[in-house]
Amino acid sequence: MSDFIFGAYPYLAGTIFAVGCWIRFDREQYTWKADSSQLLDNTNMRLYSNLFHVGVIGIFLGHFVGLLTPHSWFLALGISDLAHQNIAIYAGSAFGIAALVGAGLLARRRLTNERIKAVSRGRDNFVILWIAATAFLGLMTVPASMYHASHQDASTMLALSEYLKSVVTLSVDPTLLKDVSFVYKLHMFFGMTLVLVFPFTRMVHVWSVPISYLGRAYQVVRTRGQVCR
Amino acid sequence: MSHFIDRLRFFSKTPETFSKGHGIVTNDDRAWEDTYRNRWRHDKVVRSTHGVNCTGGCSWKIFVKNGLVAYEMQQTDYPRTRDDLPNHEPRGCQRGASFSWYLYSPHRIKYPLMRGRLMELYRAERAAGQDPVDAWAAIQADPAKRKKYTAVRGLGGFVRSDWDEVTEVIAAANVYTIKKWGPDRIYGFSPIPAMSMISYAAGSRYLSLIGGACGSFYDWYCDLPAGSPQVWGEQTDVPEAADWYNSKYLIICGANLPMTRTPDAHFAIESRYNGTKIVSMAPDYAEFVKFADLWMPVKQGTDSAAFMCMAHVALKEFHVQKQDPYFLEYARTYTDMPMQVMLRKDGDRYVSDRFLRASDFDKNMGETNNPEWKTVVYDSKTKAFVVPNGSVGFRWGEEGKWNLLPKNAADQSEIEAELTGIGNSDDVVTVTFPHFAPGEENTIQRNVPVRKLTIDGEETLVTSVYDMLIGQYGIDRGLGDNLATSYDDASIAYTPAWGEKITGVRADLLERTGREFADNASKTRGKSMVIMGAAINHWYHNDMGYRSIMNMLHICGCVGQSGGGWAHYVGQEKLRPQAGWAPVAFALDWHRPPRHMNSTTYWYFHTDQWRYEKVEADDVMGATAKGNYKGYQLGDYNVVSQRLGWLPSAPHFNQNPLAIVEAAEKDGATDEAGVVANMIDRLKSGDLAFASEDIDAEENHPRNLFVWRANLLGCSAKGHEYFLKHLVGAQNGVMQEGVDGQRSKEIKWHEKAPVGKLDLMVDINFRLNSTGAYSDIILPTATWYEKADLNTTDMHPFIHPLGKAVDPAWEAKSDWQIFRSIAKKFSELSETHLGTRKDVVAMPMQHDSPMALATPLGQVKDWKRGECEPVPGKTLPVLKVIERDYPNTYKKYSALGPLMNKLGNNIKGIDWNTDLEIEQLASLNGVIKEEGVSKGRPSLEKDIAVCDTVLRMAPETCGEVAHKSWTALSKKTGIDHSHLYEGRHEDKITYDDIVAQPRKIITAPTWSGIESEEVSYNAGYTNIHEHIPFRTLTGRASFYLDHEWMLDFGEGLCCFRPPQDLKAHKNLPKELASKLQGKKTLVLNWITPHSKWGIHSTYQDNLRMLTLFRGGPYFWVAEDDAKSIGLKDNDWVEAVNANGATVARVVVSQRVPRGMALMYHAQEKNVNVPGSNTTGKRGGILNSVTKVIIKPTNMIGGYAQLSYAFNYYGTVGCQRDEHVIVHKIEDADIDWLERPLTPEREAQLNPPGINN
Repeated sequence: MSDFIFGAYPYLAGTIFAVGCWIRFDREQYTWKADSSQLLDNTNMRLYSNLFHVGVIGIFLGHFVGLLTPHSWFLALGISDLAHQNIAIYAGSAFGIAALVGAGLLARRRLTNERIKAVSRGRDNFVILWIAATAFLGLMTVPASMYHASHQDASTMLALSEYLKSVVTLSVDPTLLKDVSFVYKLHMFFGMTLVLVFPFTRMVHVWSVPISYLGRAYQVVRTRGQVCR
Repeated sequence: MSHFIDRLRFFSKTPETFSKGHGIVTNDDRAWEDTYRNRWRHDKVVRSTHGVNCTGGCSWKIFVKNGLVAYEMQQTDYPRTRDDLPNHEPRGCQRGASFSWYLYSPHRIKYPLMRGRLMELYRAERAAGQDPVDAWAAIQADPAKRKKYTAVRGLGGFVRSDWDEVTEVIAAANVYTIKKWGPDRIYGFSPIPAMSMISYAAGSRYLSLIGGACGSFYDWYCDLPAGSPQVWGEQTDVPEAADWYNSKYLIICGANLPMTRTPDAHFAIESRYNGTKIVSMAPDYAEFVKFADLWMPVKQGTDSAAFMCMAHVALKEFHVQKQDPYFLEYARTYTDMPMQVMLRKDGDRYVSDRFLRASDFDKNMGETNNPEWKTVVYDSKTKAFVVPNGSVGFRWGEEGKWNLLPKNAADQSEIEAELTGIGNSDDVVTVTFPHFAPGEENTIQRNVPVRKLTIDGEETLVTSVYDMLIGQYGIDRGLGDNLATSYDDASIAYTPAWGEKITGVRADLLERTGREFADNASKTRGKSMVIMGAAINHWYHNDMGYRSIMNMLHICGCVGQSGGGWAHYVGQEKLRPQAGWAPVAFALDWHRPPRHMNSTTYWYFHTDQWRYEKVEADDVMGATAKGNYKGYQLGDYNVVSQRLGWLPSAPHFNQNPLAIVEAAEKDGATDEAGVVANMIDRLKSGDLAFASEDIDAEENHPRNLFVWRANLLGCSAKGHEYFLKHLVGAQNGVMQEGVDGQRSKEIKWHEKAPVGKLDLMVDINFRLNSTGAYSDIILPTATWYEKADLNTTDMHPFIHPLGKAVDPAWEAKSDWQIFRSIAKKFSELSETHLGTRKDVVAMPMQHDSPMALATPLGQVKDWKRGECEPVPGKTLPVLKVIERDYPNTYKKYSALGPLMNKLGNNIKGIDWNTDLEIEQLASLNGVIKEEGVSKGRPSLEKDIAVCDTVLRMAPETCGEVAHKSWTALSKKTGIDHSHLYEGRHEDKITYDDIVAQPRKIITAPTWSGIESEEVSYNAGYTNIHEHIPFRTLTGRASFYLDHEWMLDFGEGLCCFRPPQDLKAHKNLPKELASKLQGKKTLVLNWITPHSKWGIHSTYQDNLRMLTLFRGGPYFWVAEDDAKSIGLKDNDWVEAVNANGATVARVVVSQRVPRGMALMYHAQEKNVNVPGSNTTGKRGGILNSVTKVIIKPTNMIGGYAQLSYAFNYYGTVGCQRDEHVIVHKIEDADIDWLERPLTPEREAQLNPPGINN
């Protein structure tokens, strides 16, 4: 079981994520959107949405940088494993709480506001609850991490990092996780599932963050190209 | 290829830049743009319009895409008007633009539907081996079975059926009803043929063939201005909207131009650029007020007082102080003002009586033909009484003198009719007139100059209408009666100061407007106009409201002048090709006469509203009445009217008309005369009686009801809850026991009121509305974009097609084909059950026919009271035996019958031959090849063929017919009218022509306006400019009506009559009073005008419209009124009285004045209507709190213009005098009644505590 979840599931989720996004982008262009419900009700959304998005983006970047940066680079920057872990604990807690509270408020709004409820589909309810659960589980790992940190033990963090590298280098080794406690594993399962369901939900709007607008020319003109159908 | 791969352009060169890098040129995919481009692409465009009783009658482009109607847009290809007149376009409004929603909406009726319980019963009988008619009979014979489906009407429970089954049930019910009760127990209600003529004709043709009764609608809607037939002998004829532009002074009241005449309102606005002054008289800040120069907010229901006061000023300044030559000439020639009227000695006072006639003089003044129908003037040239041309006596029985030329009929010498006798009179006497102003004496005394005559050896005083009129208006002429010498004298009726007391409008404004209106008319020869409409016509005394306006217009010489006159707009009443349509619609090509009924009386009786009548006829009567019928109830007058042959009846008698003829034949009658003689004997002996004399007896119930193109129950049913209770037998909210009817003198009283009279109710619609919800069968019909049909309106002179943009969706069919399929099944079933039978039709004396000369001198003789003998056509309805060949109904329906060749065609008393048109139609539409009665006759199988048949037979759309009908009229008037149509003699307008472009109609004698390059269409134009008489007793526009009942009810001359107290909000029944105990309440006048957010009179449930305003029912209340009982905007409120209750949201607004609640028309039961806590039933519609009331003067018949014709004269369904009690409902108390139907709930039809 563990072999499947940590040996095969990451690739299954990753493949569905990649292929799913591609197919949806190609075939269902009109569903490629954030499905914002703010037109129906915008009450408190400045707070709810920002809490959630800032938290989630922070967590995403934290995980990305913290777990995928080669160990040697941190050492070269003079960041000890313990310092790394402490940064992860405090930054992770801060952003994690923001994400959890934001997700919780959004979930409550989605499930109780009459107007929003009326337009919510199963997948909308699912995804916000699942994100909230994942964030919650992530926060549940904090006490364990703090315990490790207080004993000057960064091995779990390093094991998780090693495991993730084994996944991305296509040499997956589930045994790297043999000493990692269950709460981390459960959090990882939820996280991977989030990747799996990504193409089927409104999360696809992540792909379309208009970062390019920041450096874009003022005026964009298209050639006639394929217009004349 | 792939959106994703296309975006992978890492290796393509940097895009081209411009403007120093501020712009770039990319090669990004542009396929997404097609989506937006496709939004406005379509496969075809088809011309159609909306058949919705909307005066707009606009031409629309219907866009079809992928086989579906996608959207609609205004057509802009109207022919241009002429130089110096704005064009018609753009036409169309937000309502028309949102119609396409209905085609594929949740309201759409997709399949034939039947009430599930009825289907079970019927299928069980059929499975047991019964044939369809016997199966139906078995269900009707068992009260338990019958109640099983009738008592759940309105509670859902429809299941899908198929065309074979529904047509079989309908045909079986019709056959059974004809056999058991009589064909006149089958009724059809469909309004406003002009909105979709062929669809109307479908049902009425089927009903007319089988002998069913077709119900009127114009009078029932209270859109018929009774004043128009009374004054002009004309149902309604009005100017086209373009003529507003020609006016120089417009008073607008009761018609909210931008809101309900949206596509035409531009003419009113443009007229202001042309220098026209506009005065508005809305009680509320209505939308049209904003483009008026002056707003005179008049208290609702007091319009007649305001107009009487304005006319007081006009009369005084332009007739008395200065004699305006144009006004006097007009009054003398075109109005009855110079006509001489006899005064009657009544105790020690004089009251006005009937017109002086030729028959009152020795040797009838030389008149041998109809001397009793020829009125008399005093000729100031010869100083003698003379009979002028033009009165109704000249119309029938002789030719050439029925015209308005100022001539002495005896020798055709020129005369000058004297208006006033002042200075030449024999005496001055005091005449007493009835008076109705609240808080004032019930009579007024006026001195008038009189001449003395000896008639039948007795001295008789006569005076002119003009002299009585000026006296009655309260203008002092030094005759010693001390009338008003100043406008500030509020003690004399009809001065501006008096008017201010009544109407709330400042006296100086009434004075100024009256003066300006007259001054403008004097300077422009009549270009002063009053635009008016439903809001002032829906009152009990609407005829007074209208006559007060007509009086002012005639005093100022405006009627019949371009830019002048009245402009009354209600629904789409102008059925332009009427003459071509009527034969098809009423099957006059096979049988004459058809069976017609005036719906107001019909519903008043059959929904048992007469049982609840709290208004006494005696209280409505004038103080100078002879009062032969004192003590009679309003309903009793109607019974008298029916038996004297004035108003129609349905059912006619207390026996099956087929059985009546059979019985007569058994007694030896061999022909029509024999049958009629037999019937008269039986009527006299009491063996046969009029159905209305025992209206609640089961043999007199209506049994089958067809409603098509209509929303009877959800919209026009004044007294909605009474309909539900007595006619339909459903859950109802009537909050009182009906006991008032037991004082009736003529109608037999049954202690227990009947419930659920109808055996079968069929609704034909494309939309499930409140009417469908209470029906037993609903048939899916084509929408306005799915069939071929015709449409005309008063507002413009064009004839429009309804076009088939797509086939009728799902299983829908056009109405023409629906009734054809019913006729087919009916023919099959009648083969064994009916065969050929003889029916007798009791027809009232018709207007525009010699029958209108039935009551000489307007004196009522009642055979039942032994005052005369019953003589058909004189004192009894005309009785006509008609052979009904029932198995051939289908063949007759589908072909144009032989009577068109044998008897020709006619309209408004003008006859002509149609052989040529029938020949042309045979070649255009093909003939029936099948053996049988219809072989060789022109086909009416296809919808378009029917359209072309109508167009070819009407003078408005076929120049040859115009020629024939005008020639016939010229013979009557002795004047050549041919120049009116000459240029278009050869024109023939076909369906294909009007599909190509709107076509202007041809001038026809059906109407009083003309189509011309010089003037716009205007009512009364040919009366003034061609000297064609008004179709009245005097041949002139009438200021005075001398029928006995008219005088009894105090309306000989026009006067102010205040709104009638209907008493439904007073002396509340205890069930209702207890519910209101302790609540903060408010009594408000219930006003129900037309809406901005519904498509004319029905479609309030369009999602697009609901989204624009409140999303459900609502009514408006003034801010201060709301405050007084703690109402906030959008609170739930209930309006309630003894008639029932309606629940809605309240709109709190400064727009409406205090004292009224304004609920827009046709807010019905299907969207967001909670239960009422008072009735315990669904919270009602706008008419849940109203009750219809009838007026005896509207029942007069057989007397010149006061004669019946379908939709022309009769009782009207007014509802604006009603008051309601309004109170707030807390949100927590709102009950949506969404509970299962338990046996207890099913049994509780009435509100708790109401028993009978």
